[in-house]
Amino acid sequence: MLNSAIQINPLREGLGGRATPEPCTLVIFGATGDLTHRKLVPALYNLAADGALPPAMGVVGFARRDKTDEIFRSELEEAARKYSRQSINDELWKSFASSICYHRSGFDDLAGYESLAKRLDELDAARGTRGNRLFYLAAAPDQFEVILENLRKSGLNRGANGGWSRVIVEKPFGTDLPSARQLNTLVEGAFPEADTYRIDHYLGKETAQNIMVLRFANALFEAMWNARYIDHIQITASEPLGVEGRAGYYDKSGALRDMVQNHLLQLLCLTAMEPPAGLDADAIRDEKVKVLRSLRPIEGSDVSKYVIRGQYGAGAINGKRVAAYRDEANVDPESMTETFVALQVNVDNWRWAGVPFFVRVGKRLPKGGTEIAVHFKSVPPVLFKATGEAVDDNVLVIRIQPDEGVSLRMSAKMPGSSLRIEPVKMDFHYGTSFGKATPEAYERLLLDAMSGDPTLFARRDEVEEAWKFVDAIREAWIANPEDLTFYSSGSWGPAEADELIKRHGTTWRRL
Amino acid sequence: MEAAVNEPGLPVEIGRIDKELGRLWESSDDTKTRASLLNLVIYSEEPGAIDCNTELISAIASQHAFRAILILANPGAATSDARAWISAHCHLAGKGGRQICSEQITFRLDGESAASLPNIVFSHLDSDLPLCFWSQADFREPLDEQLWSWVDRLIFDSAMWKHPASQFALTKKILSLTDGGTILCDLNWTRLHRWRLALANIFDHSAALACLPGITRIRIECAPGKRVKALLLLGWLSARLGWSLQHLLSENFFLDKAGKHIAFEILETAGPGISLVELSGENFRFSLRRPENGEFFHISMQSRGIPDCTMTIGAGHERVGDTLLAELSRGGRHPLYAEALDAITPLIPG
Repeated sequence: MLNSAIQINPLREGLGGRATPEPCTLVIFGATGDLTHRKLVPALYNLAADGALPPAMGVVGFARRDKTDEIFRSELEEAARKYSRQSINDELWKSFASSICYHRSGFDDLAGYESLAKRLDELDAARGTRGNRLFYLAAAPDQFEVILENLRKSGLNRGANGGWSRVIVEKPFGTDLPSARQLNTLVEGAFPEADTYRIDHYLGKETAQNIMVLRFANALFEAMWNARYIDHIQITASEPLGVEGRAGYYDKSGALRDMVQNHLLQLLCLTAMEPPAGLDADAIRDEKVKVLRSLRPIEGSDVSKYVIRGQYGAGAINGKRVAAYRDEANVDPESMTETFVALQVNVDNWRWAGVPFFVRVGKRLPKGGTEIAVHFKSVPPVLFKATGEAVDDNVLVIRIQPDEGVSLRMSAKMPGSSLRIEPVKMDFHYGTSFGKATPEAYERLLLDAMSGDPTLFARRDEVEEAWKFVDAIREAWIANPEDLTFYSSGSWGPAEADELIKRHGTTWRRL
Repeated sequence: MEAAVNEPGLPVEIGRIDKELGRLWESSDDTKTRASLLNLVIYSEEPGAIDCNTELISAIASQHAFRAILILANPGAATSDARAWISAHCHLAGKGGRQICSEQITFRLDGESAASLPNIVFSHLDSDLPLCFWSQADFREPLDEQLWSWVDRLIFDSAMWKHPASQFALTKKILSLTDGGTILCDLNWTRLHRWRLALANIFDHSAALACLPGITRIRIECAPGKRVKALLLLGWLSARLGWSLQHLLSENFFLDKAGKHIAFEILETAGPGISLVELSGENFRFSLRRPENGEFFHISMQSRGIPDCTMTIGAGHERVGDTLLAELSRGGRHPLYAEALDAITPLIPG
């Protein structure tokens, strides 16, 4: 060939604000599963439609069911038409689908991995994917071990011909600290930490990424982002849905492990962390880990004081009767699994001393939404006291989903000759200001993994620190199972959760 | 408050625009939200520009909130006159049925009133928001230093110029007035974004990347009158690849850093814009083709190192509204534009 000295494409410069993914082949383990159909393939199609994927790209579905490339493509097309945020264009789908193929093998069949290696080499030669491989573990968690082991044995954990090899691991990253450590050790046995991408799709959401911009690009907020001005912070993730089709998994997991250990603690970290030294992945993740290490452990008898767990009973959502959790299909009728958790978290560092973080998550609540509400301290009750007017505290709300945006509640004088003070809301909506549809979290995260940017992925120590915090709570629950409370579907959770926050002299925000 | 037929909104006295805008919003119900991210001034001297620009603003306001200030000037009119209208463009957002509205102030400046352009702009900006000024008329000297120094993004379309060389020279002069602080936004360059992206995509391929230094010939096909666009694309390629333009014995060509000769030709063929870019060398030919009215680029790669390969990728739209929206949404500076322009300045006609 003419000159192989050029390693970086000079035509790429200035074309966009982010790194462009290198040519690669994406291998999806669990290619016939729900995640692949609902999220991964629609995300890949949208990236292709936006011209964000390199032409040199291959997608290989790896699963045990017998099917041809054509059938696999046709199933994915059907799913993409159903779940893609952009409508499917036939011409573009045809072009995109030509990069997809199916590789049939059991996860425990080493020969299947060896034949995969050969197929990937052929793809490298045919499509110019440069020996770069990205493996996506979208299979059930109990299959991770055998997949990782066989990737290692077949040599697929090393990129071919100087290329790279990376792995994306879907949550859950274990079920407790020992299993997380075991999984991490397994992953580490096959892939170095730098090539391991633990996906937490909350971090791929635009609004989650905006937390850092809001905090560190606005002097107005950062100067007041501490115990001197902030009274407390509420982080809420609520949903009206029940367990739907996930009962088998959820009944073993529960809200604490399903949501708090990963998504909500990640949001807490982004809210509480110190400014990082830079925008590189490790600088940011170092700061998040410091927050996790600063969490005051909740152990033993403190658990019943600071953590409320609940399970939904029968009730009504949007005027329709819904069954109790224990009456849901595939749920143990005597299940002690929590579908609601409210906890008070204290971050024992200089910035947050004395500022509680109230975190709540629940199913079958009246409204769906995820938000972070920063409640500022009250003004001294001096000036307006004589008028008898109550002055509400300022509240800054960062809405993660839906209706992504930021609002600020402040007090204003009502027009008129008398002094009346009313709260007013300044509201910023992403949809209103920026119009265009924001990409799905999986689009961003897939691109980042292809580009080798782990910033929005959880590092090993983050995961393990989060488990350490959560495990102490679970141990107390196991020792004292009687403290599970019940709430009616369609309510805002058990009364005990209201009591928890009332002790601080406040109430949960009305979403 | 209702607008008269064929008028771009509610007629208002120029001195009362702020008050009338306030009344306009007060009279609307609570489901309307006023939104603005920037001031967009559109200046034109073409009769009929108000209608088509109002239509354009209405089309893009749903995706980008701004205060639009439309100015139609007729400096040659015998009598001096200045008139103004206000209006709002609303669209439904989200599930709650809330209407999001951008406001538009329209001015018609005849005769001597046209000279009051800077004052009209300064006095009607939404405070603290960036100022994007789209000049649909040719730039003329003397340049108003204060006006141009207020402009954050100067939008123009070099495809519309009859004398591109002199107009490019004036844009550089505007840039020098603000010490480079103003960002030049040539919509002709914005339209090239997808072309540049698709060309860059070709060379993400490892075998194709190795061919870049071996390019010896470039062929671009474009519609009659779209030569400047083709030249900007050529300028971008040459600047990115470190080529310098040469002129010898009435032939223009590039030399790369190693002294290799690179020939180029720009052919004018029927079509809406650029229809083909072909890069070739001793053992390869890469082409990027966009059929007329096509939504996709068709990439063809032929190289000794790889099997023949064709691909399809999205090409976006080149309608003026899409192009303006792309420019407003992307933001940032355009350092490569200056590089591309410098690389082909001697080839620009007029």
